[in-house]
Amino acid sequence: MNHPSLLAFVLARLRDGLVVLFLVTLVIFVLGHVIGDPAVVMAPVDASEQEIARLRRQLGLDRPFREQFVGYFVSLARGDFGQSLWQDRPALTVVLEALPATVVLTLVGLVLAGLGGSLLGVLAGARPESPLDRSANFLSVAALSVPNFWLGLLLIVIFSVQLGVLPTSGFANWQSLILPAGALGAIHGARIFQLVRSATFEEMTKPYALVARSKGLPERLILWKHILRNIAVTMLTTIGWEYVRMMGGAAFAIEVVFAWPGIGQLMIHAASRQDFPVLQAAVIVAGAFVIMTNALVDLLYRSLDARIRAA
Amino acid sequence: MKTLRYFAIFSLGLLFLTGAAAKPSRPLIIAVSTEPSTLDGQAVIDRNSRVASGNIFESLLDRGANGQVITWLAESYKPVNDTTWRFRLRKNIKFHNGEPFNAEAAAFSVNRIVDKEYKTQRASYIENIKGAKAVDEFTVDVTTDGTNAVLPVQMTQLVMVPPKAAREKNFGVSPVGTGAYKFVRWDRGREITLAVNEGYWREKPAIKEFAVRIIPDPQTQIAALQTGEIDLVLDLLPEQAKLAPKFISVPATEFSYIQFNAHKKEMADPRVRIALNLAVDKETLAKTIYQNHARPMDAQHLAKGMLGYNPNLKPFPYDPKRARQLLKEAGYPDGFELVLHAPIGRYLKGEETSEVVAAQLKEVGVRVKLQLHEWNAYRKLGRIPGKEANAFDLKYGWNSNEWFDASRIVSHITCDGTSSKLCNKKVDELMDKAIQTLDQKARDKLYQEVWVILNKDPHAIYLLQQNLIYGLAKRVEWQPRLDDEVRVAAMRATE
Repeated sequence: MNHPSLLAFVLARLRDGLVVLFLVTLVIFVLGHVIGDPAVVMAPVDASEQEIARLRRQLGLDRPFREQFVGYFVSLARGDFGQSLWQDRPALTVVLEALPATVVLTLVGLVLAGLGGSLLGVLAGARPESPLDRSANFLSVAALSVPNFWLGLLLIVIFSVQLGVLPTSGFANWQSLILPAGALGAIHGARIFQLVRSATFEEMTKPYALVARSKGLPERLILWKHILRNIAVTMLTTIGWEYVRMMGGAAFAIEVVFAWPGIGQLMIHAASRQDFPVLQAAVIVAGAFVIMTNALVDLLYRSLDARIRAA
Repeated sequence: MKTLRYFAIFSLGLLFLTGAAAKPSRPLIIAVSTEPSTLDGQAVIDRNSRVASGNIFESLLDRGANGQVITWLAESYKPVNDTTWRFRLRKNIKFHNGEPFNAEAAAFSVNRIVDKEYKTQRASYIENIKGAKAVDEFTVDVTTDGTNAVLPVQMTQLVMVPPKAAREKNFGVSPVGTGAYKFVRWDRGREITLAVNEGYWREKPAIKEFAVRIIPDPQTQIAALQTGEIDLVLDLLPEQAKLAPKFISVPATEFSYIQFNAHKKEMADPRVRIALNLAVDKETLAKTIYQNHARPMDAQHLAKGMLGYNPNLKPFPYDPKRARQLLKEAGYPDGFELVLHAPIGRYLKGEETSEVVAAQLKEVGVRVKLQLHEWNAYRKLGRIPGKEANAFDLKYGWNSNEWFDASRIVSHITCDGTSSKLCNKKVDELMDKAIQTLDQKARDKLYQEVWVILNKDPHAIYLLQQNLIYGLAKRVEWQPRLDDEVRVAAMRATE
């Protein structure tokens, strides 16, 4: 059995990541440049044909497609994502300015989702049909069944308007993080809960658990020592995947509802101003984030599960 | 027992959080749904930007309480010949950065915005303006391309900028004007802060500081208003009005209508177009869909106080019987088929209104099919040039008359107008004559005459004058203007 070194593993993941990022960029470019005419979209609504033609020349849209794509890629490689049409600053700067707010929100949301979902999932899976299982299950199904933004509004109405304990929106202090992060935690925690719960339930009926039980090991020890170790990979996969889902859209909807100044809100504004460069930069940055998360999860697997190390 | 302990911990936590709701006295906060692109008052026209820039910059002329043009940074003005208007400026006014406001600055401001290289959304506000020249220290001449009777209207929106600062590249992110408030800070994606201009040339405003906060979701805006986090929300939905601690509903300069393609065979006869006007129950539309935050317009895209408003015209009554009879007289006893086009998500309750109108037209025998379009596709539809009958049958839209002046609608009603599907030689003649008439009273009369013709030969089904609904915190006192400018200097806040 050969054991690839850690460095080789990381390098391989990095290479895969770059390939995926290239494909993401390709798709964005094709969407933006082939389907629909960016010049028409970017021009003011009452622009004349001549103005549109001039804009097309300025943006280099009159050049052959291959030339355009290579040009775009060369400037991307140089870190030049183009100029924001809306703010008249480099698009990447605009996106990177909004990134920290999104990172803070999604990380706190992920911690809440991961801790809450896993803990309740293990407890509920260990005691199926108990009151805890039933109520947690009900809540998670409820959280999964409503649209994200609606859940956000519901939290605002309950905690801000009715109870008056938390601000509705904004980015003023740590209190304003609670509702959006809580909403994200609930949405993603619900799915983590479902998967962890069923994984725990399944492990509980496996022969080794029965043997442990028949040996007279206390239930608590079986659960937190043996079972937890065996479902750790499932948990991690789920949590990693939920982060990807967050960065793929859920967090953006929540940002808009709570006026959280991150990438999601930026993209909404950029879209309403037809700011293509900023939209492209935002999607690529979010894509890079997702790829990095996946690589990180893979890396953690290795340390958790010897079987993967060998693969 | 355990549950009780958890409950105790949880409620303690809640108590701790309650601190968030106790607010110390804070600046006035106005919510907008999108972030401005720049605060250069000459570059942008959208409302969300103007909430900030409209308080920083001022123009030579402005609008009074009833929407009439009044002098502002200029003391007086008059045309000196067919193509020149002379403005005498007020003295001892300084920009926020100390630059003096004088004829040189005023001429610079005009020449800056009319420069072809300068990118502005205010194109219609500079149409037919050639440039400006300082005559002496406090006198400036503005020259026009041909006779331009609406120059005073245009000058209410042409803001004055300081020559030195406006040449800097960062003028859009650190704007400098003569207005009641000066720019303090722009926290990207969050809010823009402004503070009172201590050296303001008019009465000092009551509110010392205010912020424009970006809250994209209208539901979140109203929630924040309810909790007292913010003080003013623009453009509430009719059903949201009652949720606000306080609301003010103002008749706006927006007129909704359904445009005819009068070049189409079935609608060529004016009797048919009058019949369609009679077939729509405008009162009920205003009452139900808009919950009385709108009223039937007086069969003209104008309201009382606007130049060209004809006080003798009234809304077409709701009279389906007479409508059916007129259709019969015009040779359509069994009606005909038409398509009504409307944009998605552009106009407040536009889709609902279009549906009701389609149903009401069906009642008199005109079988209308409603087609909804994405905004860009809808615009293209309206821009099919010439007199072809295939452009569209009926088109729902709003006409914004922020000029308070009938000349604003010229492109919708003249034979060659870019958005027009009606050709009436008499209308063309009167509109042409009016724009060349510098005597505003005479001009008013000419437009009144146009509207009489457009009632006999309608270019549209005249629907509603729409309201703007502002949501206010209890502590705020404000009477909104008839145009949609939000001037904080006119507000008061207790505590």
